[in-house]
Amino acid sequence: MNKENGGTRPSCPDHYGTLPSCAGLAVPYVPFQQDNPQKYSQNDALSNGTLFPGLNLPFHLKVEGSALPSNPLVELQAIEFVVLELGTYLDTHPDDTEAFEMFKQYAAMEKSAKAAYEERFGPLTRSCAANCDKYSWLKDPWPWNYQQNEVK
Amino acid sequence: MFIYEKKLQFPVKITTPNPKLAAYIITQYGGPDGELGASMRYLSQRYAMPFAEAKGLLTDIGTEELGHMEMVAAIVHQLTRNLTDEEVQKNPLFASYFVDHTTGIYPQFASGYPWSASTMQSLGDVIADLSEDLAADGAVS
Repeated sequence: MNKENGGTRPSCPDHYGTLPSCAGLAVPYVPFQQDNPQKYSQNDALSNGTLFPGLNLPFHLKVEGSALPSNPLVELQAIEFVVLELGTYLDTHPDDTEAFEMFKQYAAMEKSAKAAYEERFGPLTRSCAANCDKYSWLKDPWPWNYQQNEVK
Repeated sequence: MFIYEKKLQFPVKITTPNPKLAAYIITQYGGPDGELGASMRYLSQRYAMPFAEAKGLLTDIGTEELGHMEMVAAIVHQLTRNLTDEEVQKNPLFASYFVDHTTGIYPQFASGYPWSASTMQSLGDVIADLSEDLAADGAVS
């Protein structure tokens, strides 16, 4: 091997159709999300399905978030989505202090938004039903029963 | 453990039923790369993960997939609510689903094959499991 170019290695290790003796079977590569990534606003995050523009792989190269209705539930869903996305990000980037600060801020927003929502529309968790005058966990609508123009 | 929150992750409000579309979308519920498989895959694989980051990620994403499962089920439910007899009969693809399940939500492939754990793997090997996740979901985070 390598005789014709004076013993130096060919630029491609597989030049002669053989692998170097120490080669691993395969080397997978997955690009790693960097610290302090750009972030969408909470509504853009919910409608794009990711908080991070860098992870947004548009379907058929078409960038279009869905049009979100504006109501108390969607506002809560948007805040919760940011908390969820930041949490997943922090799982792999626990030392990104800026992201952690944002996580704390949004978690606090989520807590008060949830309390305000439950105050108006009833419990979101069964244990919260204990705060009501009577057992209101069974109150309609269940999440899959929402009608098109139901405002909540 | 898991605590149920009485809301979806993203709003699902469908006015016009579309049984044909429902017969396709059901695969995202219980098909080979559906949300049920995704949640089972992540929530099962996490026990063999040696790294905290991966334990956290598999737990949190696996949990989120349960929420996705619920949204897809809501989509299929709403696409098939208030159907007329005629709407069922003129959609052969949905008609065969209807024979077995009426408008109940059943985890199956678009082809009608029931959800199967044979579409997922849990090998107890970090690299093998994460590679399987990439293949199944296109991304792990």
